[in-house]
Amino acid sequence: MNFVLNTGRTIKQGSYVERKNSDGYRDEASACRMNPVDMMELDLEDGVNIKMSSPAGSVVMKAFSCQSLKRGEVFVSLGPYANHIIDGETHGTGMPDFKTTMVHIESTDEDVVPVSRLMEECGGWPYED
Amino acid sequence: MRIEDVICPFCGCLCDDLVVEVQGTTVVSVENGCTLAHEKFTGDNRLQAPIKRDGRTWHPVSYDEAIETTAQILLEADRPLLYGWSGTNGEAQSIGVHLAELLGAVIDNTSTVCHGPSIMAIQEVGHPGCTLGQVKNRADVIVYWGANPIEAHPRHMSRYTTYADGFFVKGAFLERKVIVADVRETETSNIADEFMHIEPGGDYAVLSALRAIVRGKADIIPSYVSGVAREQLVRVAEMCMNAKFGAIFFGLGLTMSRGKYKNIRNAVELTEELNRFTKFTISPMRGHWNVYGSNEVFTWISGYPFAVDFARGIAFYNPGETTSIDILRRGECDACLVVASDPGAHFPKQCCRHLAEIPTILIDPHVNVTTHLSHLQIPVAVTGIDSEGTAYRMDGVPIRTRMLYKSRYPSDREILEKIYQIVLKEKGP
Repeated sequence: MNFVLNTGRTIKQGSYVERKNSDGYRDEASACRMNPVDMMELDLEDGVNIKMSSPAGSVVMKAFSCQSLKRGEVFVSLGPYANHIIDGETHGTGMPDFKTTMVHIESTDEDVVPVSRLMEECGGWPYED
Repeated sequence: MRIEDVICPFCGCLCDDLVVEVQGTTVVSVENGCTLAHEKFTGDNRLQAPIKRDGRTWHPVSYDEAIETTAQILLEADRPLLYGWSGTNGEAQSIGVHLAELLGAVIDNTSTVCHGPSIMAIQEVGHPGCTLGQVKNRADVIVYWGANPIEAHPRHMSRYTTYADGFFVKGAFLERKVIVADVRETETSNIADEFMHIEPGGDYAVLSALRAIVRGKADIIPSYVSGVAREQLVRVAEMCMNAKFGAIFFGLGLTMSRGKYKNIRNAVELTEELNRFTKFTISPMRGHWNVYGSNEVFTWISGYPFAVDFARGIAFYNPGETTSIDILRRGECDACLVVASDPGAHFPKQCCRHLAEIPTILIDPHVNVTTHLSHLQIPVAVTGIDSEGTAYRMDGVPIRTRMLYKSRYPSDREILEKIYQIVLKEKGP
């Protein structure tokens, strides 16, 4: 199914902002909030892994039910997981489409990778503190 | 030691009423602060010493070696990018701009992925803003548009708007009306008197509809505009027109969605229309504690608030061309100095890939996502905790942050000054 991806601040993400290698940050930044009816249609239970894809790439997250979201819309806190599939095009403004990226979501058996591993996929090398 | 009137260096509210208990070099308690402030002051996840990566191995290096390496990388680069700056003080930002000028570099701050579009709109149509004190003491109608202060600026409502009693608004909770416009229900929308639930990407149309109603053209508005009923639009417009003093606060819901800076322009022009009836102001909800300061410092030195390119020997500014995302996406820069921010977490993957390809140096107190993309990281003291300096609140009021204890780390300012001196020696005055 296709969705409009919206990203933004959550207080939990903000509280981990200086511990971005922690499990808590990974859990919050990779949490995809979805309308429960959409989850039912995709046969997704709360907390299962999903693969979110866009023309820019794909990333594994966890799906969580959120009554306040309309059908067809998903919300992920700002961070490296959402940015893994947001395109760098800025339409001449300097600002990518962080709030309105079209994505495809499907269930997956793949695991959510740590932040350091995401950066390794980008060509970096993990620093373990 | 108990320290009062401490400034919080987390978000653009720069709350100045915290009471912090310090034992040695550890903050043991924080009073009056929100969750974010508590985490900021009590966090102990500092990088202990400079680290350098050779291939797949990280190893510690001395500060002198790290500073010398940074200067040489910047000197050897043809098109260096100096990015970040919003998480440090004005004094360090000032050295950064002078360093960029000396190098012929591009210098950009986090506004580029935050309120950069707001600044572009303000450059087109101006900024009818005011200080937060004016809002607290006068405003009886508050509008939050594309913003969720309960999560992003947790004390904004209690210090300045919904719950803050003011000189002319004695019973704020009862007297102030709160309007929220957003594409999703949030904690903030749940306490609004009016919540306009807009379809994604529909902000521009809703702002245009409100402008039409304010100009007396309600009869041309269709039944629904981007998911918002005409009746509600008329109600909201009348609530605003009947206000004694209204204040719009907008967030990244406007700057990052379809329309970008044109959304902000439309919101500013709505504010202008409302001023035909009453007093109305509009202000961005700035995120980083000193992102406003980076705009101020960049502007007073170069004339431009972000995305300043010194490659021509003069300051040049063209968002979409000289903005960090575009430069990285095009693979244009050949070295990057990141100061007090985390593009690894907040830039699209294409940009992160380029940061990993080029020599990227990070000056930041903590291990963050950019660390894994960097080749060198230099830890520094945290402004407002173990270093001091000037910051600008989201309404443009400069506030001096305080040092709570003597740090064992150098400040960003000291590190940057040393890098600047090496570059100056090579490049000449």
